[in-house]
Amino acid sequence: MVFSTGTGEASPALFDINKKRHHRQLMRRTFLHLLSLYFLPLLLLTVYFHIQTLNLREEGRQGHLQSMAEYQAHMLDLFIRERVINLTNLINSPELEIPPTQGSMRSCLDDLHRASETFVDLEIFNARGDQVAYAGPFPVREQRNYSNERWFEVLSTGEQEFVITDIYLGFRQRPHFTMAVRSGVDGDSVVLRATLEPDRMYDFITSTVGAKDLHTSIVNRDGVYQVVTPNVGSPLAESSLVPPETPSLGVEHVEIDDRAVVYGYAWLMEAGWALITQDRPQESDGREFLEDFKIAIVALPVFVIIFLVTYFRAKNIVRIEEERDQTKLQLVHSAKLASVGELAGGIAHEINNPLAIISEEAGLMGDLINPEFGDGRITLEDMVPRLERIQKAVFRCRDITRKLLGFVRQTEYRLAEHDLTKLLDQVVDDFFLHEMGLSNIEVSRHYDPDLPLLITDANQLEQVCVNLLNNAADAIEGPGRIDIGVIRRENAVRIAIRDSGSGMNEEQMQRIFTPFFTTKETGKGTGLGLSVSSGIVEGLGGVIEVESESGSGSTFTIVLPL
Amino acid sequence: MDDRIRLLIVDDEVQFLDSIAERLELRGLAVVKATRGLEALEIAREQKFDLALLDLRMPGMDGHEVLKLLKEEHEFLEVIMLTGHGSLESAVECTKLGAFGYLPKPYELDDLLQVLKDAYEARLRKKFEQDQERIGKITDMALGSSPLAILRAMRELDDDRR
Repeated sequence: MVFSTGTGEASPALFDINKKRHHRQLMRRTFLHLLSLYFLPLLLLTVYFHIQTLNLREEGRQGHLQSMAEYQAHMLDLFIRERVINLTNLINSPELEIPPTQGSMRSCLDDLHRASETFVDLEIFNARGDQVAYAGPFPVREQRNYSNERWFEVLSTGEQEFVITDIYLGFRQRPHFTMAVRSGVDGDSVVLRATLEPDRMYDFITSTVGAKDLHTSIVNRDGVYQVVTPNVGSPLAESSLVPPETPSLGVEHVEIDDRAVVYGYAWLMEAGWALITQDRPQESDGREFLEDFKIAIVALPVFVIIFLVTYFRAKNIVRIEEERDQTKLQLVHSAKLASVGELAGGIAHEINNPLAIISEEAGLMGDLINPEFGDGRITLEDMVPRLERIQKAVFRCRDITRKLLGFVRQTEYRLAEHDLTKLLDQVVDDFFLHEMGLSNIEVSRHYDPDLPLLITDANQLEQVCVNLLNNAADAIEGPGRIDIGVIRRENAVRIAIRDSGSGMNEEQMQRIFTPFFTTKETGKGTGLGLSVSSGIVEGLGGVIEVESESGSGSTFTIVLPL
Repeated sequence: MDDRIRLLIVDDEVQFLDSIAERLELRGLAVVKATRGLEALEIAREQKFDLALLDLRMPGMDGHEVLKLLKEEHEFLEVIMLTGHGSLESAVECTKLGAFGYLPKPYELDDLLQVLKDAYEARLRKKFEQDQERIGKITDMALGSSPLAILRAMRELDDDRR
């Protein structure tokens, strides 16, 4: 806040600059406040819905993974069951002679091939586990006994109707798995075993609808890949994905190499395998980008509108504030005039009343000695109290004029050319330096090196400076500093006295030039220093400007025209 | 019956009050003094006054307010304001409120007497105008009534209670 003495238009430039800065600040602050008021809820809502959407999408994706795993596992089950039925049909068929001839074996394999191309070869074992016949692409090896093999034991004890092994390399060094069925009873039983190519089976699974977007792989209970996409792993390698046994299908989250992996799984019913589905990592999905773009197209105008509305609203608020400040300024001015008028009125009343008493008493005494009214009963003694009253009234008037004299002491100006810096130095050195040193106040002087001589009344200007410096010193409690600056700006000299004292609030600033107003404690200030000073400076054709902020000191500037 | 002009003076400056009262008494006015507004209002309700001198600045009830109430309660009482303050605004306001005149302190006695004279004249004129109006009204209204009825109505007008 800035106020200046005198006529109000005294320092429009400085006043305007400060006001403008204030209004710019106000504008910025109001704008940001309003913006956050409008934007923040919207932003929070957007984030909330975004997270919701992501969650939904994620849930959907996981559901998709699981259902795909289930579906493909089901398909695989069907496939395996079919193959088992192929074998069962074959073993029970009358075409199969026991012991079979090479030719009949060949035709049996051909039959199987017709049913499914996954079949690679075919073997028949007797009840003791000896291979009795073979048909297939591989040369017949020396006879081996399989009675100790686990799958054979399982079959011959009748635990299971059929056996499916995990995939293994075997001596063919190609991944394959076998499927065996048994027919007949005990000593007469025959075991039929076929080798199957997993690749074909894999092709079969991955040809199902919707499988293209996914990586599908099969692991056994030990977490070894049976069938797998080359991108993900290699067959018979350890898989990092080991689905739990129960529930028989679901979605799992695991961390692999600090990467979150989500996969769906479903255990097969016919074999000890689990089908695993994973998202195929997708390179820059155009669709998603399009979605974002659409949202941006909708959101951008909304944001622009909010931005504009906020801007104009803030501007409006600041405009109202500006207008209010304008009226306030005018009010301050008229209030000051009113206070001067009040003072004059008060003085008039105080003086006129005793004057009226004097007039009446004197008149009455005149009446009493006037033969027209008096009848001779008036004595000199009667006059005494009346004369005393007159004297009392006179003293009343004298007291008032004495008070006033202090207020309007200076009336004449003695103008001469003076060096301002010398004048100021003299004031500071003579009156203040010692005192300020005692009260720990640092005084620093900053003088414009090429100041012109000023035509002014040195005594009066000295008095103003003393007043202002006194005020500055009084405003400082404990250690502090006073800066005295003199600069020439345009056609005026500015003497600024800045203190690091307690400063003033707006209300105090409005009243400091009013006679008898003081911010100092009772008895310390007369309330006349600033009003006298401003009177003197105005008499010299200048103004006193004040800048102050409560708590951070005040600056009084004497502006004198050159 | 006392046929002197009845004057009420209200001022908080007792010394002033005493001397002005005595001077006016010497000049043949019947003066009653009051130092406060409320006191003045009470006195005016008990006795009848032709004129009143009223100080503007008083502790307690302010002169403006006393003036307003006096004029409300006493139709033909003319009030002259006395003040040491002497600003144009307060004079205008007092006139609005019905004061006859406005005299700044200190004044010359002759000026005061002049104002008192003018005020009394104004009071008489007002009374006279009202009487004429009433007479006209009564004669208009009573057209065709008995002379006695008119006489009674007119007698009612001509009272000193006002």
